[in-house]
Amino acid sequence: MDLKFVPRPPQATGEFRTRRTGFALLRTTTFRLGLVQAGIVLSFVVALLLYVYFATAGQLLQDSDQLADQEYVALERAYAEGGMRRLNQEVVERAARQGPLLYILAEASGAVITGDFRQLPSVPGETAERVDFNFERIDDAGAPLRGRARGRVGRLINGPILLVARDLGDTALIAGRITRTLWTVAIIGLVVSVASGLIAARQASRRAEELAATARAVMGGDLARRAPVRDAGDEFDALAEAMNGMLDRIQQLMHTTRTAGDAIAHDLRSPLTRFRQKLEAALERPPEIVADREALRNAVDEADRLVDMFSAVLRLARVEAAGNWRMERIQASDVLRELVEFYEPVAEEKGQTLSGDVADRLALRGEPGLFTQAVSNLIENAMKYTPEGGRVEVHAHKRADGRIEIAVLDNGPGVPPEERDRVLERFVRLETARSSPGVGLGLSLVSAVARLHRGGLHLRDGISEAGRTGLGAALVLPSLDTEG
Amino acid sequence: MRVLLVEDDADMAESLKSSLTADDHFVDIAADGEAGEAMALDGGYDVIVLDRMLPKKLGVSVVRELRQQGVSTPVLILSALHDEDHRVEGLDAGANDYLGKPFSTRELLARVRALWHGRDREPQTRLAVGDLEMDLLARTVKRDGKKLDLQPREFRLLEYLMRNAGQTVTRKMLLENVWDYHFDPQTNVIDVHISRLRSKIDRDFPQSLLHTVRGSGYRLEA
Repeated sequence: MDLKFVPRPPQATGEFRTRRTGFALLRTTTFRLGLVQAGIVLSFVVALLLYVYFATAGQLLQDSDQLADQEYVALERAYAEGGMRRLNQEVVERAARQGPLLYILAEASGAVITGDFRQLPSVPGETAERVDFNFERIDDAGAPLRGRARGRVGRLINGPILLVARDLGDTALIAGRITRTLWTVAIIGLVVSVASGLIAARQASRRAEELAATARAVMGGDLARRAPVRDAGDEFDALAEAMNGMLDRIQQLMHTTRTAGDAIAHDLRSPLTRFRQKLEAALERPPEIVADREALRNAVDEADRLVDMFSAVLRLARVEAAGNWRMERIQASDVLRELVEFYEPVAEEKGQTLSGDVADRLALRGEPGLFTQAVSNLIENAMKYTPEGGRVEVHAHKRADGRIEIAVLDNGPGVPPEERDRVLERFVRLETARSSPGVGLGLSLVSAVARLHRGGLHLRDGISEAGRTGLGAALVLPSLDTEG
Repeated sequence: MRVLLVEDDADMAESLKSSLTADDHFVDIAADGEAGEAMALDGGYDVIVLDRMLPKKLGVSVVRELRQQGVSTPVLILSALHDEDHRVEGLDAGANDYLGKPFSTRELLARVRALWHGRDREPQTRLAVGDLEMDLLARTVKRDGKKLDLQPREFRLLEYLMRNAGQTVTRKMLLENVWDYHFDPQTNVIDVHISRLRSKIDRDFPQSLLHTVRGSGYRLEA
């Protein structure tokens, strides 16, 4: 049997390719998570920035605005009480005073009459407005002075313009520095989170791509391909290991199926060929009743063997598929003693000794027909491979763990430890057994029956003597009594 | 004898019919469960051979119905699913024998004959074939008046052969009826048991009673 993967039809490749490029970085889940993370960092920084700004610089500015407003109102009142003269006088006086407040009095046209500066930073409209400006002036000592001021500018009745501002001085510098620092932090935060998102995304998508590449390689027919495991112990390693385990199992099943198919084909070929040859030979020679009947009889015998083989395969398949078997209480001790008694004459005929050492009252729950057949297969197997003069012993007892162990031991050639797992596979017959009759399903069936009964079949050394290890086949099954 | 064959596979039915006819039986064929049941109720058959999977009515249901109607004709069920639970189900329904497909024609013929031979069997306490006598109450066997020493299992084997004296019994029939084993041993274990029995009942006597029927099985006959 030759299993081949059917290539995808051409019209499907387009879709296939689209999916391959699906690992573009910007579409990966990890990158999206990175973006979300960056958004959260940014929002947090902005909130922090706003809070710090209002708690520090904002408060300072608010205080100076209040101071300037109070001064503006006081001057407005002076103007209302004493007119232009009084205002002018007040401004000159106050400007002369050393303090944080700066003043400008100007004509309606904007020409400066008096004050700290020769020029208005801006000409106001009808209503008073807030101003925030940088200035440069010569201080009393004659040194140039740069600064930033903030205050109120407005038109008084009949047009003169009044500006009162507070020199922000250090306050402005501090506020500005805080603001700039916060912006810097925000930008760095954004860049770092986007970058880490990208790096993580690339890392993850590389691992995912490795897994996808493995899957594609297997799809392409390279069944031995396995996903790389990096020993990082992360979720990708866990995924890769699970995937590799799955691939191992699939490969093993395919191997079994293939071996079974090959073995059936191989084992059927010889009897079918013989079948055909005998009939053909009978056809070719002149008709002769006795010889023809003999040929027909042989042909029927061959056909019977073929049918037996198929029956064995079907039976094994049905046991392996579990299904609804009628399980009942089995008095294993009685069944085992009867089987020993049943086969004892055959052993004697072959010059062997078959003996039983069976404990009393061993009971288990199972399918009587299958249980009997399983033990009979073990006994027949032992008798088949044990030479003349050999011994076969059936031991059955309840183990310390409460399970029943039924061991069939022989002093034949045995099976090397490294071959023991293999002989339990379907259709496997060791080279040494090729010449003897049999299908190679006996032990597979026993093993399947054991599993159906929630037990197992274990192979080990049998009766070791005269340089031979012998084979011990032990059925270990749950006892009915310990299960309650 | 008259055999009713209820089988829906026409090829299979024809082939079985020709084998049964060659074995000196008269055969009627019914192609489904309902027709088979009606023909069986009409009576006049010595043995009914019934497929398990039938159109209209399953073989098991047909047997159950026949037994309820008081028809005691021996029934042999043929089944493609020769598994323990189906066998038990068929026998519980009232069938007398159960044969899993694929089977050999010789096996079927032997079983049909055994069913017919064993019908309406009176409870017996003594069996005799030629000068071989078995007392079922005393559990003793004598040949030519001389007591033979048999193991319990050998006694059961001989009892089955004597009950079917003159009929061919197959190895499979012996396995099922004497040991209640429903698998095919890979060894010649039945032949060995027969040869042991033969050495006890035939060896010291001029006439052999236990004959080997080549390709089929054994027959006990004087």
